[in-house]
Amino acid sequence: MKREKRFYFDVKWFLILAVAAFLLIFQVFPLVFLVIRTFFREGSFTLEGMRRIYTYSLNWTCLKNTLITASLSMVFGILIAFPLAFLVGRTNLYGKRIFRSMFVMTYMVPPYVGAIAWLRLLNPKVGVLNVFLKNLFGLSGMPFNIYSIPGLVWVLTTFYYPYAFITISRAMEKMDPSLEEASRISGASPLKTLFKVTIPLMLPSVVAAGLLVFVAAASCYGIPSIIGAPAKIYTVTTRIFDYVSVGSAEGLTDASALAVFLMVTALLALYAADFVTGKKDYITVSGKSVQPSTVDLGKWRVPLTILVILFTVIVIVIPFATILATSFTVNMGKSVFTPGNLTLKYWNTIFSRKSILKSTGNSLTYAVSSATLGMIVCVVMAYLLKRTNVKGRKIPDFLITLGSGTPSVVIALALIMTMSGRFGINIYNTAAIMIIAYMIKYMMMGMRTVTASLSQVSPSLEEAARVSGAGWLRGMKDVVLPLILPSVVAGWFLIFMPCFYELTMSILLYSDKTETLGVELYLYQTYHSQQTAAALAGGILIMVTLVNVLLSKLTKGKFSI
Amino acid sequence: MKRKTFLTAALAVGMVLEGICCTAVMADNSDVSGKVVIYTSMYEDVIDEMQETLEDVFPNVEIEFFQGGSGTIQSKIAAEMESGKLGCDLLMVAEPSYSLELKEKGILYPHEFADKDKLVFDYDEDGYWYPVRVCNMVLAYNPDMYEESEVPASMKDFAENPDMKGELSMSNPLTSGTAYSSVVGLLDKYGEDYFKALGKQDVAIESGSVALTKLETGECREIMVLEESVLMKRETEGSDLTVIYPEDGCIPVPSPVMIVDDKYSANANAETAAAVEEYFLSPEGQKQIVKGWMYAVRNDIEEYPYDAVPLDKLLENTIPVDWEKCYRQREEIRTMFQEYVTVPQE
Amino acid sequence: MSVITIDHVTKRFDDVVVIKDFTAEFLDGEFVTLLGPSGCGKTTMLRMIAGFEKPSEGTISIDGKTVSSKDVFTPPEDREIGMVFQSYAVWPHMNVFNNIAYPLKIRKIPKQEISERVSRILETVHLSQYEKRMPSELSGGQQQRVALGRALVAEPKVLLLDEPLSNLDAKLREQLRFDIKEIQERLKISIVYVTHDQSEAMTMSDRVFVINSGVIQQVGSPVEIYRNPVNPFVADFVGKINFLKGTSSNGRIVLDGMDDTLDYGGPLTGRVEVGIRPENIHIVRDGAHLSGRFVTEYYMGEENDCRIRAGSAVLRVTADAETFRSFGAEEQVGLRISDFLVFPEGSEDGRGNE
Repeated sequence: MKREKRFYFDVKWFLILAVAAFLLIFQVFPLVFLVIRTFFREGSFTLEGMRRIYTYSLNWTCLKNTLITASLSMVFGILIAFPLAFLVGRTNLYGKRIFRSMFVMTYMVPPYVGAIAWLRLLNPKVGVLNVFLKNLFGLSGMPFNIYSIPGLVWVLTTFYYPYAFITISRAMEKMDPSLEEASRISGASPLKTLFKVTIPLMLPSVVAAGLLVFVAAASCYGIPSIIGAPAKIYTVTTRIFDYVSVGSAEGLTDASALAVFLMVTALLALYAADFVTGKKDYITVSGKSVQPSTVDLGKWRVPLTILVILFTVIVIVIPFATILATSFTVNMGKSVFTPGNLTLKYWNTIFSRKSILKSTGNSLTYAVSSATLGMIVCVVMAYLLKRTNVKGRKIPDFLITLGSGTPSVVIALALIMTMSGRFGINIYNTAAIMIIAYMIKYMMMGMRTVTASLSQVSPSLEEAARVSGAGWLRGMKDVVLPLILPSVVAGWFLIFMPCFYELTMSILLYSDKTETLGVELYLYQTYHSQQTAAALAGGILIMVTLVNVLLSKLTKGKFSI
Repeated sequence: MKRKTFLTAALAVGMVLEGICCTAVMADNSDVSGKVVIYTSMYEDVIDEMQETLEDVFPNVEIEFFQGGSGTIQSKIAAEMESGKLGCDLLMVAEPSYSLELKEKGILYPHEFADKDKLVFDYDEDGYWYPVRVCNMVLAYNPDMYEESEVPASMKDFAENPDMKGELSMSNPLTSGTAYSSVVGLLDKYGEDYFKALGKQDVAIESGSVALTKLETGECREIMVLEESVLMKRETEGSDLTVIYPEDGCIPVPSPVMIVDDKYSANANAETAAAVEEYFLSPEGQKQIVKGWMYAVRNDIEEYPYDAVPLDKLLENTIPVDWEKCYRQREEIRTMFQEYVTVPQE
Repeated sequence: MSVITIDHVTKRFDDVVVIKDFTAEFLDGEFVTLLGPSGCGKTTMLRMIAGFEKPSEGTISIDGKTVSSKDVFTPPEDREIGMVFQSYAVWPHMNVFNNIAYPLKIRKIPKQEISERVSRILETVHLSQYEKRMPSELSGGQQQRVALGRALVAEPKVLLLDEPLSNLDAKLREQLRFDIKEIQERLKISIVYVTHDQSEAMTMSDRVFVINSGVIQQVGSPVEIYRNPVNPFVADFVGKINFLKGTSSNGRIVLDGMDDTLDYGGPLTGRVEVGIRPENIHIVRDGAHLSGRFVTEYYMGEENDCRIRAGSAVLRVTADAETFRSFGAEEQVGLRISDFLVFPEGSEDGRGNE
């Protein structure tokens, strides 16, 4: 029975338009309002605000620092993540599954808490690791000084490389091995194959990963505020905080004028990424099905495993042990094992606070909502970008990147200004404003993973579903989504995690009913003690890890990070 | 929409409760009703305790706290002002220079406080703001690591003792109102040279809690910090960190309480807010403040914060702060601090 | 009765015209091939029939219902067609059974019936023992059989095939070619087949549409277009051919750079282009139309491929096994032309694109 429809209602376009409208109202409008605001004073157009900010030499130093640290973090993040993703995804390295879970753990800890751990380990005066190394090798001075550009880059890199790792390893596992085999048969050595075939084929994912690390590092506040300040290294984000804290309308103007720099930087980075990738969207998951192959490491298997263990110990185990030790220590000046110095009271504090249950519930709800809604937006917009040739299909991608490039504090303030009734929408002091803030800030993480993954799936797979009689929605559900599912799950987690402990925006937007874990964390670290903050961060880490393990067990490894 | 329903529900419940428990203890306050939202930078522990007391004192008032650092709250308010309405009715935040700014902008609602002659700190003659608690800027060190004789005993020495270079930390005047007021006081007392000296010392400019951590681990030898944060650590954690009352004077920074005018407030409930303000200024309210490791503002309160010095003793040696100057010259002073202290010295 | 009607369809991507004023009728049970070089627009035409592209102008009807016109558009899923893609498009996350059963599941066919129909199709495409396998465990040929099965299972009236054999090796290609033809004859469905391979077109089709640069060059049975191509492009594309230039007058054609002439009874006069297929050139001792010198030869079994220089041109000549190796290099030979085609000079018809 054939239907002849004169007015064909297309679900696909309806969804695309709905998502685009959502972005327009809740993301574009607040940010654009903020930017336009910097050009007006008392109702008339002026470049005075911009001039004041961009002619001040300290601000230029900050811009320079931001670009340097973000670029270096991106480079090192990729240099770390690519080999790890390859080893874990494509070789017979020992303990691959455990390493895979370990590598993303730095992402499960709020940057602020991680930075405090590194500060304790590597400060040039009494840094625990510094002292240990000094005694071990009989050095005359401390080997490391965390209060430096390299120190800042180190902490940023260790914190943000999981973005790159997750993005690249997803793509790596799905690559058609015949492409590599073809290279070997053509006479290329395994190493040459890696450089001539594997890496170029992975380019879209590598670029996506680099972009994520760059934007995240550039718009991060927690780490530079702790590691940078003692060395007088200021970044755009710490500078923005200075301006915001003035607490006046001019302060907001100055802050947003400076934020424009980060927005533009993020857009330029996206543009550069697009340019580098160019037409190199290789379809590595074609309609032809192949078995992924595993590279035999041979005699390198043991040494490489040891190397990876070493990396894990340095980047993950040591700082995490420090955080946990902190949470059990009464006096941080003494070892946790000094008699009377070991305590459970900080853990007791977080579990006995009556608001903790409510905050955890709120955070969970908001983070799950943001991640889920965010991924819907991402999948739909990635589809628009990769599967249609509408004019302006690239715009949503730019908008989503713009949001992530904007510092959290600026997003929160823009939302307060525009979403509290002045323009007919009032969601201030509700859960909605929190969820929207989180989405604006973190959606890019999902967008990049999904885009990279979707561009690897041959359109004919979806078309085959359509001619089989499946509508667009059904085809998405049965064919496209299952094929990009690993990336969707990864993207979901990449959004979920930072929302779960989000701090900067939450503290500005929460109300009596919408208090979150991030707010608790903020209060602990500001008013109470690092120990309680460490205990809370430890609790979050344990909880997320448990959920991850449980999910992995229940779905037989299908859904885990 | 949801929120509206909720509010209606809350109101309905409130009315029912009113009907049932109108014979509650504090009969004199039962005629005060409605909702009051308070923005404050006070400690959470203090607020938790206050909230319980307030429920007894104002059985018919729904009191909600929003809590954050002064900088956070001030920026939130600035953004709210853009939309024409604040999210609160009462403010207990920042320092008097901020009150001057809000008063000038016409945001505040005047209220005559009968006992204002008992206040030992500056207040607004027209009743737009009163001090409600005192945050005290002092020095602190860690006796587990250093002798008292090894660390500077005055604000001046803190900035000038060359042995201390690279081992000091202080709160950031660019993000904290109390820290800002303190450096204005120091600027008045010692002139620009004080800032220059701080710059030469390579003082780390960071948040108080990070500074305390560094003091505890021995990374810093001495820090300039709010007394309350040290006292809290001493009382709740049994910490040995010790306050030094600088020889050249500590810097008590009174924090104001202000009522938001009905035109701008969340619940247009200025009279109820005034009643709550009265409570905070009353001896009962002040005693609660003291429990939160801050000093009271009245001369008739004998209590003082945990193992600190009594208020009258404290006031014997202080560095005064010119609030007008804090407000009027904010831009210049901030910039000066940045250039001398925060920017890397060539 | 026509199962697909394409009426004045034009397709533009931005300003580039990909299909220009295409009009055709495909009949019920007919095997139609769209043949042309890559980039000629044949795949775009197929995708417009499937509903993946909208025509810029014109209408398309399937089974009497308009599916694409100025104000009607039926999406692919409602067109009830089957399609096989060049890259198989077998879903890697479903096993063979589920791949093939998918169109039936979409149509909410009862479970029992699905399983029966899938079994039947599996037999048809010779995959009966593979139903539990995942696609990655199958060879390319087997995967393409899965795709074929999936396209056939819902018993569509029309099956669209987009270069389905081009990813397979020669032996499999031949095998699958006959399988497809056999299935089509047994199920009596209409097939629209897109390829650039003339031998596929020739062996399978009832009718061939030769397309170049978005324009239909010629429509006809394989024999017609081989024997009577309308222009040098078609002549060249559907088989091997030698082109020589010459002048026609008074029933004779004088070939450029040669002393020899050909008798010609056709209507064309003046400058012409003469096309001679290799099998129509015979090496003879007597009665030659042309003379040439032997250059080289390639052994291919039954028939062999020789190169003979005549004047300034080098001609491809098909020689039988006997003739093979009977000549030495530069030896003088006589050539008899048994049949040839004549086109007016300059009637290139898009051959320049090649």
